[in-house]
Parts: sequence; structure tokens; C-alpha cells
Amino acid sequence: MHPFLARGRLGPYFAAWLPIGALLAALVRLAGAASWLEAAVLVAPLAVVYAFICLASWYPCRSLPMTAAQLPRTVFVHAGAGVVSTLVWLFVAATWSAALEAFPAFAGLDQRFPRIAAMLAAAGLILYALAATLHCAVRAAGLAAEADARALEQMLAAREAELSALKAQVSPHFLFNALNSIAGLAASEPETVRRTTVALADFLRASLRAARCRTITLAEELALVEAYLDIEKIRFGARLTVARRVADAVLAVPVPPLILQPLVENAVVRGIAHLVEGGAVTIEAHADDAGLRVSVTNPYDPAAAGRGGEGLGMANVRARLAAAYGPAGELVAHAAGGTFRAELRLPPADLQASAP
Amino acid sequence: MSAGARPLSVLIVDDEAPARTLLREYLSGLPGVTVAGECANGFEAVGAVEAAAPDLLLLDVQMPGLDGFEVLELLERNVAVIFTTAHDEFAVRAFEVHAVDYLLKPFSRERLAAAVERARSHAATRHGALLAEARARRGPLAARILVRSGPAVVVVPAERLDYAEARDDYLLLHADGKVHRKQQTMAELEASLDPARFVRIHRSFLLNLDRLARIELYAKDSRLAILADGTRLPLSRAGYARLRGLNR
Repeated sequence: MHPFLARGRLGPYFAAWLPIGALLAALVRLAGAASWLEAAVLVAPLAVVYAFICLASWYPCRSLPMTAAQLPRTVFVHAGAGVVSTLVWLFVAATWSAALEAFPAFAGLDQRFPRIAAMLAAAGLILYALAATLHCAVRAAGLAAEADARALEQMLAAREAELSALKAQVSPHFLFNALNSIAGLAASEPETVRRTTVALADFLRASLRAARCRTITLAEELALVEAYLDIEKIRFGARLTVARRVADAVLAVPVPPLILQPLVENAVVRGIAHLVEGGAVTIEAHADDAGLRVSVTNPYDPAAAGRGGEGLGMANVRARLAAAYGPAGELVAHAAGGTFRAELRLPPADLQASAP
Repeated sequence: MSAGARPLSVLIVDDEAPARTLLREYLSGLPGVTVAGECANGFEAVGAVEAAAPDLLLLDVQMPGLDGFEVLELLERNVAVIFTTAHDEFAVRAFEVHAVDYLLKPFSRERLAAAVERARSHAATRHGALLAEARARRGPLAARILVRSGPAVVVVPAERLDYAEARDDYLLLHADGKVHRKQQTMAELEASLDPARFVRIHRSFLLNLDRLARIELYAKDSRLAILADGTRLPLSRAGYARLRGLNR
């Protein structure tokens, strides 16, 4: 949509042309090319006509990208458009002049017209340039406002992902089952109860602290995961085993808090919990040129339809990765042959940031 | 409950050892209750109900193999049920299958005692409603079909079922080159499966559409459904109309 054709904009635009028309008429008169009457009647309507013609300079402004690299092309296109606009205007001017010739008051105007036309040609090019500059400025302002709005939207989306992640961080079912285990073992295994309450406190404290940080180290995230698994091991007993293969070099890498724990919880709740014999959750982490890789692998029961696979926690992790890293951070999940594997891929920039 | 009455026999079904320990401990303090056994998953529970014939099941919902509702579906004997779970979202379904009570973990000794007392009074007056209800109301569409074969349970994921064939008073389920026999009516099976995938192509045949390769006209107004593996099934006029209706 043309910015000046919108409601309430066209009036000020034409108002701005009134002094231009007056100035043009004065110039024509002062150059001695015409009488005051001739200058006023010939030039003033032409100014209005040219105001219309110059509105068209918006369209090259809109279609050409506003980058420095495109500047020569933009200038070239506008120069061409300026020449065409001026020629169209001169044609209108010649027609109008010929029409006025018919009135006695304007007799002899055709002899003076070539000089007037020369002035009009120069004015036409200059005015086109001014109009094009104005239109491009309006366009640039619009683009800037759009970019601001987009940035704001992105920020809001990231914030929302963050918030929903924090809300979902501790599953109530996990908490209730843990409390039930504690109640169950209170009489027969007080020492286990003590260990479990400590692990639960560790996990809750780490979760609360993590909620306040933008990043924590992978070592801290692993400790949180460890506390989570300690509690689940008490529930599941021998059915849940854990293997950990983490390169020392990646322990200090910063990661968004609670980015790994949902993957481990997914492995337990949707994988191990549905297997009569249970199985092992394997956590692996290493870094290469492509960045940090952290994976969680678990067996699942393919016959348990609607189980295995991805839960809500995984979707949350994806949204948070996108908010934190854009396309550079990914969660790749793959299920085949009764094994589910989820891998976090974080960009290498963060690896360098962590170097001492 | 008067002294000298037959004790209530209770079977504990939970996949978590601490939860079973808690239930056993709570039950040991209740008069007139004996523990018939403990099961760590749904398969064990189905076998134990037949073997031990308990009066009451304390049944977890989410378990490996079979969940609590699937266990009920497979039972051939009436038994009172109290669900025990950390999830409150199954409560409606639980009462639809006439569970005596629904206990949210963790719960107190008193709460369990009250539930057991309710079960005791229920047990005296129960009719055979539970089982039929569990069979009829499977809640959401079934993603798996459960078949009992002796003491064992076979789980057939719905998408592995090629077709079902009705015989006198049972069904033959064809899946993965095997044939399973299930005591169920075709109407019940059809109602429990996704109607966009399983179509009654004949009075006696329910077909998984993914297996259909083509339809052959072999006499005037008489058609055959040819499956991807070459099996030929009769296609009734009504069945053909249903297939065409789905395609539209």
C-alpha cells in the first residue's frame, strides 16, 4: 500500500506541493519567460499534475532492497524513472499550453513555451529526485519499525519458551511417586529414606537455582540429572541402570539450565518404565568441530503403542534451544529397533566462550 | 465385619517395590485382611488373579507390559478393584469400570483402611458388572489388542493386525503371519479400533486398510479384496460401499 494514499496523508502531501507550484511560477515569471498571469495559470495546475506523477516513485523504492550493495542499481532505476516522469510531465505541459493558446489572454504562448519547457524539464528532474528521496525515507522508516516489531516478537517467544520450561521443570507425578517411595521405605529402610530425601532436596534446590540462571555448566546439569536418577532408581530398583560417558573437556561448557534433564526424564518415563525387565539409560557427552553433543539413549517397548518416543518435555527442549541458539542448536531424536536416542547439538561458539 | 468371617484376600499390583512395601505394611495392620501376593507388572497380575482368586486388587495404573485397565480387560473372574496411582487423570475411567476407590499416591493408612472397608461391603453384594464394563469401555481407541493364550498374554499392536475373521463365538486375529484366537464379538473389536483404519468389509471380516492392495470384480456384483500379501477376502456389497465412502 502506498504510504501517502492512506487516509489523512494525501492532504499534507499536496499541501507541501503548493509552495513548490508557487515557486515554479515565480521562477518562470522572473526568468522573463511569461507574464504573471501566464505563469500562474500554466504552471500551478502542472504542479498538481506532477505531484501525482511523483507518487509513482514509491514503487521503485518498495521493490528494490535497501542495501548499500543495491545503491548503484537504485540510483540508476530512479534516474530512468525521473527522466520518464519529466517527459510525461512535459507532454502534459505542452498539451495544456496549446489549449491555453486558444484564449486571447494567452496569445503567443507557443513561442515562449520552449523556454518555459526547458525550465520545467530541469525542475521536473529535481522534484522527482526530492520525491524519490522522501519515499525511500518513508520506506526505510517502515522497515526499521517492522524489524523492531519482529525483534520484540522473537524476544517474547523466547521468554515464553523459557517460562513454560520452568513451569514444567519438576513433574508433579515424579514428586508424588518420590514421596510415595519415601513413605514406603520409612519403616524398613530408614537409611534409604534419608538418602532419598537428600537427593530430592538436591534436585529441587538445583532446579530452583537453575531457573534463575541463563546458563549453568554441563557439570552442574549432570549433577542435577544424577540427583533425579538417584530418586528414580529407588522407585524402579534393579530395572533402572545408568551409564555415563562424559569427556572431562566438556564439563565446563555452559548450557541452558534443565536442558538435559527432560531428555533423561523422557528416557525413564517413556522408555524404562514400560519395560518389564527395565534397562539402561546411557548419557554421553563430547565436543567436536561441530560443537557440543550430548546424547541420551534408552531401550523402549515398540509394542507399547503410544509410549516410547517424545513427550512434552522434548518439545519444550526444542523450543528453548531455538530461543537460545536459533537454527544452530538442535535436538535430534531417533527411534529404531527398540532403542530411542535423543541428541542435543549446541554450537561451538559456546565451547570457545568456556575456554579458560 | 463380624469376627470369624472369611478374611478379605488382597492382591498387590505395583511395579515399584517401595510402593508394594508400603501397601503390605498398611494391610498388615488391618484386621480381617490377608495378602494373597504381590505382582510387579500387569502380566503377573493376570496370572495371579486366576491362581490366587483374590477378593480385592490394589492396582497401579501405569505399569510395564499391561496397564491397570488392560489387566481388568483380561480378567475372567470378578474381583473388586482399588486403583492406586500418582496420576489424577484416570479417575473418571476408573469409576467407569466400577472401581471401588481411587487412591492418589502417597496416601495415608487411614485412607487405605476406609477404601478396603468399602471393598469389603461391596464384595458381599457385587454382581458381575465390573468385567463387562471394562470390556465395553476401553476409553480412548485401543492402540493394542490383548489376547489371552492360557496363562500368557499376547499384545498385538493395532497397526500389526492385518484382518480379523469372525468364527462361531470367537475371533481369529491375523497379524505378522500368526493367528490369534480371541473371545470377543466382531462388533466389540470394531468399536474399539480406529474406524478410519479398520473397515468392516464383510459380516465376518474386519480389514486393516493399510493391507489392502486392490479390489477385484470376480462376478457380477461380487468383489474380492486382495491384500498386499495376496490373501483374498470376500467383500460384501455393504463393505464395498463403506470402502468407497472412506475414499470420498
